[in-house]
Amino acid sequence: MKIVTFACNWCSYAGADLAGVSRLKYPEDVKIVRVMCSGMVNPAWILRAFRQGADGVVIAGCHPGDCHYMVGNYYAKKRYLLLKELMKFIGFEDERLKLLWASASEGKKFAEEMSAFTKLVEQLGEQKQLRWER
Amino acid sequence: MNELEKIKEALRSSSAEKIVAFVRKENEPREVLAILSPNEIDRISFSPLSFNNPAKLLMQLNGKVAVVAKGCDAMAIKQLIKEGKLKRENLFIVGISCKGVADYRKLSKLVKLNEVTSVELEGDELVIKLKNGEKRVAFAEVVDENCVYCEHPTPVIYDVLIGEPREGKRDFSDVEEFEKLSREERWDYWISQFERCIRCHACRSVCPLCYCEECMVDPSNLAISPMSTAEDKASYPRLLGKTVNAKDNAIYHILRVLHHAGRCAGCGECERACPMELPLRKLERKLEKVVVETFGYDLNEDIPFLSKLDIVGD
Repeated sequence: MKIVTFACNWCSYAGADLAGVSRLKYPEDVKIVRVMCSGMVNPAWILRAFRQGADGVVIAGCHPGDCHYMVGNYYAKKRYLLLKELMKFIGFEDERLKLLWASASEGKKFAEEMSAFTKLVEQLGEQKQLRWER
Repeated sequence: MNELEKIKEALRSSSAEKIVAFVRKENEPREVLAILSPNEIDRISFSPLSFNNPAKLLMQLNGKVAVVAKGCDAMAIKQLIKEGKLKRENLFIVGISCKGVADYRKLSKLVKLNEVTSVELEGDELVIKLKNGEKRVAFAEVVDENCVYCEHPTPVIYDVLIGEPREGKRDFSDVEEFEKLSREERWDYWISQFERCIRCHACRSVCPLCYCEECMVDPSNLAISPMSTAEDKASYPRLLGKTVNAKDNAIYHILRVLHHAGRCAGCGECERACPMELPLRKLERKLEKVVVETFGYDLNEDIPFLSKLDIVGD
Protein backbone atom coordinates (compact mmCIF):
# COMPACT_ATOMS: atom_id res chain seq x y z
CA MET A 1 0.00 0.00 0.00
CA LYS A 2 1.11 3.51 -0.66
CA ILE A 3 -0.17 6.09 1.75
CA VAL A 4 0.84 9.66 1.17
CA THR A 5 0.69 11.86 4.25
CA PHE A 6 0.88 15.61 4.07
CA ALA A 7 2.06 16.52 7.56
CA CYS A 8 2.31 20.07 8.76
CA ASN A 9 5.74 21.22 9.85
CA TRP A 10 4.73 22.47 13.29
CA CYS A 11 2.50 19.77 14.77
CA SER A 12 2.02 16.61 12.79
CA TYR A 13 5.53 16.30 11.42
CA ALA A 14 6.88 16.81 14.91
CA GLY A 15 4.30 14.29 16.10
CA ALA A 16 5.53 11.77 13.54
CA ASP A 17 9.07 12.55 14.62
CA LEU A 18 8.12 11.89 18.21
CA ALA A 19 6.61 8.57 17.19
CA GLY A 20 9.94 7.71 15.64
CA VAL A 21 12.00 8.93 18.56
CA SER A 22 9.78 7.01 20.98
CA ARG A 23 10.30 3.91 18.81
CA LEU A 24 6.60 3.46 18.23
CA LYS A 25 5.74 1.27 15.29
CA TYR A 26 3.58 2.30 12.42
CA PRO A 27 3.39 0.77 8.93
CA GLU A 28 6.14 1.62 6.48
CA ASP A 29 3.44 2.22 3.83
CA VAL A 30 3.05 5.71 5.18
CA LYS A 31 5.13 8.19 3.21
CA ILE A 32 5.33 11.59 4.78
CA VAL A 33 5.53 14.81 2.81
CA ARG A 34 6.36 17.76 5.00
CA VAL A 35 4.40 20.90 4.24
CA MET A 36 4.55 24.17 6.11
CA CYS A 37 0.85 24.11 6.95
CA SER A 38 -2.06 21.78 6.32
CA GLY A 39 -3.81 24.82 4.84
CA MET A 40 -1.40 24.83 1.91
CA VAL A 41 -2.36 21.34 0.78
CA ASN A 42 -3.86 21.90 -2.63
CA PRO A 43 -6.66 19.46 -3.53
CA ALA A 44 -4.78 19.04 -6.80
CA TRP A 45 -1.89 17.43 -4.90
CA ILE A 46 -4.25 14.93 -3.37
CA LEU A 47 -5.79 14.05 -6.71
CA ARG A 48 -2.36 13.90 -8.28
CA ALA A 49 -1.22 11.51 -5.57
CA PHE A 50 -4.17 9.26 -6.35
CA ARG A 51 -3.44 9.61 -10.05
CA GLN A 52 0.13 8.48 -9.50
CA GLY A 53 -0.96 5.42 -7.62
CA ALA A 54 -1.42 6.34 -3.98
CA ASP A 55 -3.88 4.06 -2.20
CA GLY A 56 -4.65 6.55 0.51
CA VAL A 57 -3.96 10.18 1.32
CA VAL A 58 -3.84 11.73 4.77
CA ILE A 59 -3.77 15.40 5.54
CA ALA A 60 -2.32 15.88 9.02
CA GLY A 61 -2.39 19.22 10.75
CA CYS A 62 -2.54 20.97 14.09
CA HIS A 63 -5.66 20.81 16.22
CA PRO A 64 -8.16 23.58 15.52
CA GLY A 65 -7.00 26.67 17.34
CA ASP A 66 -3.38 25.51 17.51
CA CYS A 67 -2.30 26.45 14.01
CA HIS A 68 1.05 28.15 13.79
CA TYR A 69 -0.51 30.43 11.18
CA MET A 70 -3.68 30.99 13.20
CA VAL A 71 -6.24 29.70 10.69
CA GLY A 72 -4.47 27.42 8.22
CA ASN A 73 -6.10 24.27 9.48
CA TYR A 74 -9.57 25.79 9.15
CA TYR A 75 -8.91 26.24 5.44
CA ALA A 76 -7.60 22.69 5.33
CA LYS A 77 -10.75 21.35 6.87
CA LYS A 78 -12.97 23.28 4.50
CA ARG A 79 -11.09 22.09 1.44
CA TYR A 80 -10.98 18.55 2.76
CA LEU A 81 -14.72 18.39 3.36
CA LEU A 82 -15.57 19.82 -0.04
CA LEU A 83 -13.18 17.50 -1.84
CA LYS A 84 -14.37 14.48 0.07
CA GLU A 85 -18.03 15.18 -0.61
CA LEU A 86 -17.35 15.78 -4.27
CA MET A 87 -15.33 12.61 -4.66
CA LYS A 88 -18.04 10.67 -2.91
CA PHE A 89 -20.52 12.14 -5.35
CA ILE A 90 -18.64 11.01 -8.42
CA GLY A 91 -18.30 7.56 -6.88
CA PHE A 92 -14.70 7.58 -5.74
CA GLU A 93 -13.90 5.59 -2.61
CA ASP A 94 -13.72 8.58 -0.35
CA GLU A 95 -12.59 6.55 2.68
CA ARG A 96 -9.14 6.71 1.14
CA LEU A 97 -8.95 10.34 2.08
CA LYS A 98 -8.44 11.25 5.70
CA LEU A 99 -7.96 14.33 7.77
CA LEU A 100 -6.02 13.92 10.99
CA TRP A 101 -5.37 16.36 13.76
CA ALA A 102 -2.16 15.46 15.56
CA SER A 103 -0.13 17.74 17.77
CA ALA A 104 3.60 17.60 18.34
CA SER A 105 3.11 15.66 21.57
CA GLU A 106 0.80 13.07 20.07
CA GLY A 107 3.33 10.66 18.65
CA LYS A 108 1.33 7.78 19.98
CA LYS A 109 -1.89 9.01 18.45
CA PHE A 110 -0.14 9.54 15.12
CA ALA A 111 1.21 5.98 15.10
CA GLU A 112 -2.14 4.50 16.11
CA GLU A 113 -4.15 6.48 13.60
CA MET A 114 -1.74 5.59 10.83
CA SER A 115 -1.91 1.90 11.67
CA ALA A 116 -5.70 2.03 11.72
CA PHE A 117 -5.84 3.91 8.43
CA THR A 118 -3.40 1.51 6.76
CA LYS A 119 -5.53 -1.37 7.88
CA LEU A 120 -8.62 0.30 6.41
CA VAL A 121 -6.89 0.95 3.11
CA GLU A 122 -5.63 -2.62 3.02
CA GLN A 123 -9.21 -3.79 3.33
CA LEU A 124 -10.22 -1.56 0.43
CA GLY A 125 -7.39 -2.94 -1.65
CA GLU A 126 -5.51 -1.23 -4.40
CA GLN A 127 -6.79 2.09 -5.58
CA LYS A 128 -7.60 1.63 -9.24
CA GLN A 129 -10.11 4.34 -9.88
CA LEU A 130 -7.74 7.20 -10.62
CA ARG A 131 -4.33 5.60 -11.04
CA TRP A 132 -2.53 5.15 -14.32
CA GLU A 133 -3.07 1.74 -15.80
CA ARG A 134 0.02 -0.17 -16.56
CA MET B 1 -45.35 49.10 -22.23
CA ASN B 2 -43.64 45.78 -22.71
CA GLU B 3 -40.54 44.40 -21.05
CA LEU B 4 -38.14 45.55 -23.74
CA GLU B 5 -39.43 49.14 -23.72
CA LYS B 6 -39.06 49.22 -19.94
CA ILE B 7 -35.46 48.01 -20.22
CA LYS B 8 -34.65 50.68 -22.78
CA GLU B 9 -36.27 53.38 -20.70
CA ALA B 10 -34.36 52.31 -17.59
CA LEU B 11 -31.11 52.34 -19.54
CA ARG B 12 -31.82 55.82 -20.88
CA SER B 13 -32.28 57.08 -17.33
CA SER B 14 -28.77 55.97 -16.34
CA SER B 15 -25.68 58.11 -16.75
CA ALA B 16 -23.51 55.17 -17.81
CA GLU B 17 -20.89 55.59 -20.52
CA LYS B 18 -21.23 52.05 -21.73
CA ILE B 19 -24.03 49.56 -21.79
CA VAL B 20 -23.73 45.80 -21.71
CA ALA B 21 -26.92 44.35 -23.10
CA PHE B 22 -28.36 41.77 -25.43
CA VAL B 23 -28.47 42.37 -29.15
CA ARG B 24 -30.18 40.17 -31.67
CA LYS B 25 -27.74 37.92 -33.51
CA GLU B 26 -27.80 38.05 -37.28
CA ASN B 27 -29.51 35.10 -38.96
CA GLU B 28 -30.25 33.43 -35.66
CA PRO B 29 -33.20 33.86 -33.31
CA ARG B 30 -31.09 34.25 -30.17
CA GLU B 31 -29.52 37.29 -28.54
CA VAL B 32 -25.84 37.82 -27.93
CA LEU B 33 -24.09 40.23 -25.61
CA ALA B 34 -22.73 43.49 -26.88
CA ILE B 35 -21.00 46.54 -25.45
CA LEU B 36 -22.97 49.54 -26.64
CA SER B 37 -22.70 53.28 -26.30
CA PRO B 38 -25.74 55.18 -24.96
CA ASN B 39 -26.87 56.26 -28.46
CA GLU B 40 -27.21 52.63 -29.52
CA ILE B 41 -29.91 51.76 -27.02
CA ASP B 42 -32.42 51.08 -29.80
CA ARG B 43 -30.44 48.04 -30.93
CA ILE B 44 -31.14 46.28 -27.66
CA SER B 45 -33.33 43.23 -27.71
CA PHE B 46 -34.49 40.76 -25.08
CA SER B 47 -36.25 37.41 -25.26
CA PRO B 48 -36.25 33.99 -23.57
CA LEU B 49 -33.24 33.26 -25.78
CA SER B 50 -31.09 35.92 -24.10
CA PHE B 51 -29.32 33.32 -22.03
CA ASN B 52 -25.72 34.55 -21.87
CA ASN B 53 -24.18 35.97 -18.73
CA PRO B 54 -22.89 39.55 -19.00
CA ALA B 55 -20.87 39.42 -15.77
CA LYS B 56 -17.68 38.31 -17.50
CA LEU B 57 -17.79 41.24 -19.92
CA LEU B 58 -18.11 43.75 -17.11
CA MET B 59 -14.65 42.94 -15.79
CA GLN B 60 -13.08 44.25 -19.01
CA LEU B 61 -14.78 47.63 -18.78
CA ASN B 62 -13.77 50.74 -16.89
CA GLY B 63 -15.95 53.64 -15.86
CA LYS B 64 -19.64 53.60 -15.27
CA VAL B 65 -21.38 50.72 -16.96
CA ALA B 66 -25.05 49.89 -17.23
CA VAL B 67 -25.93 46.24 -17.52
CA VAL B 68 -29.03 44.19 -18.20
CA ALA B 69 -28.98 41.29 -15.77
CA LYS B 70 -31.22 38.33 -15.13
CA GLY B 71 -31.38 36.67 -11.72
CA CYS B 72 -28.32 34.48 -12.19
CA ASP B 73 -26.35 37.28 -13.88
CA ALA B 74 -26.99 39.53 -10.90
CA MET B 75 -25.80 36.74 -8.62
CA ALA B 76 -22.58 36.43 -10.63
CA ILE B 77 -22.11 40.19 -10.44
CA LYS B 78 -22.69 40.03 -6.70
CA GLN B 79 -20.02 37.33 -6.32
CA LEU B 80 -17.58 39.44 -8.33
CA ILE B 81 -18.31 42.50 -6.20
CA LYS B 82 -17.70 40.39 -3.10
CA GLU B 83 -14.34 39.33 -4.44
CA GLY B 84 -13.36 42.87 -5.36
CA LYS B 85 -13.43 42.33 -9.10
CA LEU B 86 -16.20 44.84 -9.75
CA LYS B 87 -17.23 48.03 -8.01
CA ARG B 88 -20.88 48.40 -7.13
CA GLU B 89 -20.80 52.18 -7.55
CA ASN B 90 -19.60 51.77 -11.14
CA LEU B 91 -22.55 49.62 -12.08
CA PHE B 92 -26.08 50.45 -13.02
CA ILE B 93 -27.94 47.18 -12.94
CA VAL B 94 -31.23 46.81 -14.77
CA GLY B 95 -32.49 43.68 -13.07
CA ILE B 96 -34.94 41.44 -14.85
CA SER B 97 -37.22 39.24 -12.85
CA CYS B 98 -36.51 36.13 -14.87
CA LYS B 99 -39.02 33.47 -15.82
CA GLY B 100 -36.26 31.21 -17.06
CA VAL B 101 -34.56 30.99 -20.40
CA ALA B 102 -35.16 28.54 -23.21
CA ASP B 103 -32.63 25.85 -24.02
CA TYR B 104 -31.24 26.56 -27.47
CA ARG B 105 -30.44 22.92 -28.08
CA LYS B 106 -33.93 21.79 -27.19
CA LEU B 107 -35.40 24.51 -29.36
CA SER B 108 -33.24 23.58 -32.32
CA LYS B 109 -34.68 20.08 -32.18
CA LEU B 110 -38.23 21.42 -32.35
CA VAL B 111 -37.95 23.94 -35.15
CA LYS B 112 -35.55 24.91 -37.90
CA LEU B 113 -33.67 27.81 -36.36
CA ASN B 114 -33.20 29.73 -39.62
CA GLU B 115 -36.95 29.89 -40.06
CA VAL B 116 -37.58 31.45 -36.67
CA THR B 117 -38.18 35.19 -36.70
CA SER B 118 -38.85 35.80 -33.02
CA VAL B 119 -39.45 33.99 -29.77
CA GLU B 120 -41.76 35.26 -27.09
CA LEU B 121 -43.10 34.06 -23.79
CA GLU B 122 -46.85 34.21 -23.27
CA GLY B 123 -47.94 32.84 -19.93
CA ASP B 124 -46.80 29.22 -19.86
CA GLU B 125 -46.38 29.00 -23.59
CA LEU B 126 -43.44 29.85 -25.77
CA VAL B 127 -44.62 31.45 -28.98
CA ILE B 128 -42.18 30.79 -31.78
CA LYS B 129 -42.92 33.00 -34.77
CA LEU B 130 -41.77 31.35 -37.96
CA LYS B 131 -41.41 32.78 -41.44
CA ASN B 132 -44.65 31.08 -42.33
CA GLY B 133 -46.96 30.93 -39.37
CA GLU B 134 -46.20 30.35 -35.74
CA LYS B 135 -45.70 27.49 -33.33
CA ARG B 136 -46.69 27.27 -29.70
CA VAL B 137 -44.97 24.96 -27.26
CA ALA B 138 -45.28 24.62 -23.50
CA PHE B 139 -42.40 26.56 -21.95
CA ALA B 140 -41.74 23.65 -19.58
CA GLU B 141 -40.74 21.61 -22.63
CA VAL B 142 -37.97 23.89 -23.80
CA VAL B 143 -36.90 25.59 -20.58
CA ASP B 144 -33.24 25.28 -19.65
CA GLU B 145 -33.01 22.52 -17.05
CA ASN B 146 -30.89 24.79 -14.94
CA CYS B 147 -33.73 27.30 -14.61
CA VAL B 148 -36.07 24.70 -13.11
CA TYR B 149 -33.95 24.69 -9.95
CA CYS B 150 -33.30 28.43 -9.92
CA GLU B 151 -33.05 29.85 -6.42
CA HIS B 152 -32.80 33.53 -7.29
CA PRO B 153 -35.00 34.36 -10.31
CA THR B 154 -35.25 37.92 -9.01
CA PRO B 155 -31.89 39.70 -9.08
CA VAL B 156 -30.26 39.94 -5.66
CA ILE B 157 -28.90 43.39 -6.52
CA TYR B 158 -30.39 45.89 -8.93
CA ASP B 159 -31.01 49.59 -9.48
CA VAL B 160 -34.16 49.16 -11.53
CA LEU B 161 -36.25 46.02 -11.45
CA ILE B 162 -38.25 45.05 -14.52
CA GLY B 163 -41.25 42.83 -13.85
CA GLU B 164 -42.74 41.54 -10.63
CA PRO B 165 -40.38 39.93 -8.09
CA ARG B 166 -40.55 36.16 -8.34
CA GLU B 167 -40.06 33.63 -5.58
CA GLY B 168 -37.34 31.07 -6.07
CA LYS B 169 -36.85 27.92 -4.10
CA ARG B 170 -33.90 25.97 -2.89
CA ASP B 171 -34.27 22.60 -4.52
CA PHE B 172 -31.61 19.91 -4.64
CA SER B 173 -33.95 17.08 -5.58
CA ASP B 174 -31.96 16.10 -8.68
CA VAL B 175 -28.72 15.88 -6.69
CA GLU B 176 -30.41 13.88 -3.96
CA GLU B 177 -31.87 11.55 -6.55
CA PHE B 178 -28.41 10.95 -7.98
CA GLU B 179 -26.90 10.37 -4.54
CA LYS B 180 -29.26 7.43 -4.04
CA LEU B 181 -27.46 5.45 -6.73
CA SER B 182 -24.76 3.03 -5.64
CA ARG B 183 -21.11 4.03 -5.72
CA GLU B 184 -20.35 1.89 -8.78
CA GLU B 185 -23.27 3.34 -10.69
CA ARG B 186 -22.17 6.86 -9.88
CA TRP B 187 -18.57 6.16 -10.85
CA ASP B 188 -19.59 4.50 -14.12
CA TYR B 189 -21.90 7.38 -14.93
CA TRP B 190 -19.29 10.07 -14.35
CA ILE B 191 -16.47 8.21 -16.06
CA SER B 192 -18.68 7.70 -19.09
CA GLN B 193 -19.38 11.43 -19.04
CA PHE B 194 -15.76 12.48 -18.50
CA GLU B 195 -14.68 10.13 -21.26
CA ARG B 196 -16.45 12.38 -23.70
CA CYS B 197 -14.78 15.55 -22.46
CA ILE B 198 -12.34 16.88 -25.04
CA ARG B 199 -10.73 19.34 -22.61
CA CYS B 200 -11.41 22.34 -24.78
CA HIS B 201 -11.68 24.33 -21.53
CA ALA B 202 -14.74 26.14 -22.85
CA CYS B 203 -16.42 25.66 -19.46
CA ARG B 204 -13.55 27.54 -17.89
CA SER B 205 -13.38 30.27 -20.53
CA VAL B 206 -17.06 31.06 -20.35
CA CYS B 207 -17.48 30.98 -16.57
CA PRO B 208 -17.84 34.48 -15.10
CA LEU B 209 -16.11 33.32 -11.91
CA CYS B 210 -13.10 31.76 -13.64
CA TYR B 211 -11.21 35.01 -13.89
CA CYS B 212 -7.74 33.82 -12.84
CA GLU B 213 -5.14 35.06 -15.27
CA GLU B 214 -3.23 31.85 -14.92
CA CYS B 215 -5.36 28.78 -14.54
CA MET B 216 -4.25 25.55 -12.91
CA VAL B 217 -4.35 23.83 -16.28
CA ASP B 218 -2.23 26.40 -18.07
CA PRO B 219 1.46 25.71 -18.34
CA SER B 220 3.39 27.41 -15.60
CA ASN B 221 4.77 30.79 -16.61
CA LEU B 222 8.32 30.04 -15.60
CA ALA B 223 10.55 31.39 -18.31
CA ILE B 224 11.64 29.05 -21.06
CA SER B 225 14.85 30.07 -22.75
CA PRO B 226 16.66 28.48 -25.67
CA MET B 227 18.98 27.11 -23.01
CA SER B 228 16.24 25.18 -21.21
CA THR B 229 16.87 21.51 -21.55
CA ALA B 230 14.16 19.07 -22.49
CA GLU B 231 14.39 17.71 -18.99
CA ASP B 232 13.80 21.16 -17.53
CA LYS B 233 10.70 21.59 -19.61
CA ALA B 234 9.46 18.12 -18.84
CA SER B 235 9.82 18.57 -15.10
CA TYR B 236 7.90 21.82 -14.99
CA PRO B 237 5.67 21.98 -11.98
CA ARG B 238 2.14 21.24 -13.01
CA LEU B 239 -0.87 19.98 -11.21
CA LEU B 240 -2.58 18.19 -13.99
CA GLY B 241 -1.54 16.31 -17.10
CA LYS B 242 -2.55 17.60 -20.47
CA THR B 243 -3.55 14.18 -21.66
CA VAL B 244 -7.19 13.77 -22.53
CA ASN B 245 -8.50 10.65 -20.88
CA ALA B 246 -11.36 9.95 -18.54
CA LYS B 247 -9.31 10.01 -15.34
CA ASP B 248 -7.40 13.20 -16.06
CA ASN B 249 -10.65 14.78 -17.17
CA ALA B 250 -12.24 13.70 -13.90
CA ILE B 251 -9.45 15.44 -11.98
CA TYR B 252 -9.81 18.53 -14.13
CA HIS B 253 -13.53 18.72 -13.50
CA ILE B 254 -13.25 18.04 -9.77
CA LEU B 255 -10.70 20.83 -9.42
CA ARG B 256 -12.60 23.23 -11.61
CA VAL B 257 -15.75 22.73 -9.62
CA LEU B 258 -13.88 22.87 -6.33
CA HIS B 259 -12.71 26.36 -7.21
CA HIS B 260 -16.34 27.40 -7.43
CA ALA B 261 -17.38 26.25 -3.98
CA GLY B 262 -19.71 28.79 -2.48
CA ARG B 263 -19.29 31.05 -5.50
CA CYS B 264 -21.10 29.46 -8.43
CA ALA B 265 -23.89 31.78 -9.49
CA GLY B 266 -25.72 29.03 -11.31
CA CYS B 267 -26.05 30.66 -14.72
CA GLY B 268 -25.38 27.37 -16.50
CA GLU B 269 -23.01 28.91 -19.02
CA CYS B 270 -20.58 26.00 -18.61
CA GLU B 271 -23.21 23.54 -19.72
CA ARG B 272 -24.32 25.69 -22.62
CA ALA B 273 -20.77 26.19 -23.81
CA CYS B 274 -19.86 22.52 -23.54
CA PRO B 275 -19.64 21.03 -27.03
CA MET B 276 -19.99 17.53 -25.61
CA GLU B 277 -23.03 18.42 -23.48
CA LEU B 278 -21.59 17.20 -20.18
CA PRO B 279 -23.85 17.63 -17.13
CA LEU B 280 -21.44 20.05 -15.46
CA ARG B 281 -24.06 21.83 -13.42
CA LYS B 282 -24.75 18.65 -11.52
CA LEU B 283 -21.28 18.79 -9.98
CA GLU B 284 -21.64 22.45 -9.17
CA ARG B 285 -25.00 21.88 -7.59
CA LYS B 286 -23.66 19.05 -5.46
CA LEU B 287 -21.00 21.39 -4.11
CA GLU B 288 -23.60 24.08 -3.55
CA LYS B 289 -25.60 21.56 -1.56
CA VAL B 290 -22.59 20.82 0.65
CA VAL B 291 -21.89 24.51 1.10
CA VAL B 292 -25.49 25.19 2.05
CA GLU B 293 -26.21 22.13 4.16
CA THR B 294 -22.88 21.32 5.82
CA PHE B 295 -21.52 24.81 6.21
CA GLY B 296 -24.79 26.73 6.43
CA TYR B 297 -23.56 29.37 4.01
CA ASP B 298 -25.90 31.43 1.90
CA LEU B 299 -24.61 32.59 -1.48
CA ASN B 300 -26.30 35.89 -0.87
CA GLU B 301 -24.06 36.74 2.09
CA ASP B 302 -21.64 39.63 1.79
CA ILE B 303 -18.54 37.70 2.87
CA PRO B 304 -16.94 35.18 0.49
CA PHE B 305 -17.38 31.56 1.50
CA LEU B 306 -13.69 30.75 1.91
CA SER B 307 -13.02 33.83 4.04
CA LYS B 308 -15.64 32.79 6.57
CA LEU B 309 -13.67 30.98 9.20
CA ASP B 310 -16.41 30.70 11.78
CA ILE B 311 -17.95 27.90 9.71
CA VAL B 312 -15.94 24.76 9.31
CA GLY B 313 -18.64 22.10 9.04
CA ASP B 314 -18.76 19.16 11.38
